[in-house]
Amino acid sequence: MSVVVSSVADSLEGIILRLESAVRRRLGSDASIANVDVATLGASNRTLLFDLLDGNTTRRLVLRQETYRSPVSPFLSPHDQYCIHQVVHSHGLAIPEPIFELDETDELDRGFVVACIDGETLPKTLLGDSAFAPARSCFAAQSGEFFARLHAIPVAELPFLADSTDSIDPLNAQRQRYDSYQESHPGIEVGLRWLENNRPQRRAPKLIHGDYRVGNLLLDHQGITGVLDWECAHQGNAMEDIGWLCLRSWRFGRIDKPVGGMGPRSELYAAYSANGGETVDPEEVRWWEIFASLKWAILNIMQADGHVRGERRSLPFACCGRNAAMIEYDMLMTISGRFQ
Amino acid sequence: MSHDRPDIPEILATLKEFTRGVADKTQGSERYDALCAGFLVDVVKRELACVEAQDKSQAQRLTAITGQSGELEQLYEAFCHSVRGGRLDQQWDEVFDFALQQVIDKVAVTKPDYLLPEHQVDALAGNLKK
Repeated sequence: MSVVVSSVADSLEGIILRLESAVRRRLGSDASIANVDVATLGASNRTLLFDLLDGNTTRRLVLRQETYRSPVSPFLSPHDQYCIHQVVHSHGLAIPEPIFELDETDELDRGFVVACIDGETLPKTLLGDSAFAPARSCFAAQSGEFFARLHAIPVAELPFLADSTDSIDPLNAQRQRYDSYQESHPGIEVGLRWLENNRPQRRAPKLIHGDYRVGNLLLDHQGITGVLDWECAHQGNAMEDIGWLCLRSWRFGRIDKPVGGMGPRSELYAAYSANGGETVDPEEVRWWEIFASLKWAILNIMQADGHVRGERRSLPFACCGRNAAMIEYDMLMTISGRFQ
Repeated sequence: MSHDRPDIPEILATLKEFTRGVADKTQGSERYDALCAGFLVDVVKRELACVEAQDKSQAQRLTAITGQSGELEQLYEAFCHSVRGGRLDQQWDEVFDFALQQVIDKVAVTKPDYLLPEHQVDALAGNLKK
């Protein structure tokens, strides 16, 4: 059903050679690349950092290559992600500047190149290192402001997002993905039923990041420098982004700080409203947090499915299958009112 | 004992020692893989110790809720199908309690310390810690 994209299996040397050719086709034969680092092999992308040397200038860039394709993939195509980068960056939000999109001539499969933004992504460092204390203290407010500005971008600027399953009905989108793995999880099913029976009122659709949380954000010591990983973007209820950010998993053990393990809800909500966002209804956010648990559990089931079927054998993906139980636990305890 | 030494607990302990050794000597993704492998060895150890009791207890509760009998996987399917269709909405508390207990059973195997104290079970002994 799903496939691992062929270029993922290619050698790094081969990718670098083709990447240099891709750069030269666009920027001239004098351009070259150096200092290549493989940052991650994530859920849906491979991230490669490199220096672009062009005349006397050097610029750090990032190649994002798609590594996973499936009819029920929760991730946008690289082309759609690139379009989102163009629109959101044009509105002045702190996201990587789009440089160019790969095409067939590049023989690097699907992907794109963006500018590199300096910053740290590792949750352990961001939440534990005292040097990041100033960044932690303003994280909730900065996130509220970012959401308000993101949600103010007219959805008509990215019309293709209206057709995604997550935009049409996010709960049904999760149900379809879960069903595709053909597993029976009583906890997931009870969560689905509760969410179905307690749906919030519809709001006017906004541009939703869909995966805004520590790990997908770059921070320096003073605060957020860049928002990455737009593959889950869609149109939807503004509270969805807020609920996802407050998910217990993204607090990394600092459960008394609901906003990414760094700050209180009050600062997030106040900054959101102060920057033009809609009024935040805590009960509605709670629904979206429960939804977020469901979505995160199903994403973990997806990773384990890829491992078990042999499409993407990986020890961390094997662990994901068992980790889903902890997320189900968070979900049910939040439904019961025991977890906040 | 139909098999020779080392027995299963000893084999698992040996594997765990190996993964710990690899993790201590490596960095980055290699170290992370070793830590994941060690985690999975611990999962196997705890699951072997308690899976029989968990399955039996869950099957009994599912039979009472759904009125059906069969293998546990079939009972899960029947339960999930009924919840999806809203046929168990009238007994929501019972349904919710079962789902929570089933999840607690899984977490007790995966990462027992993750559970609240009142939900923690010593999976290796099958007894409440408290």
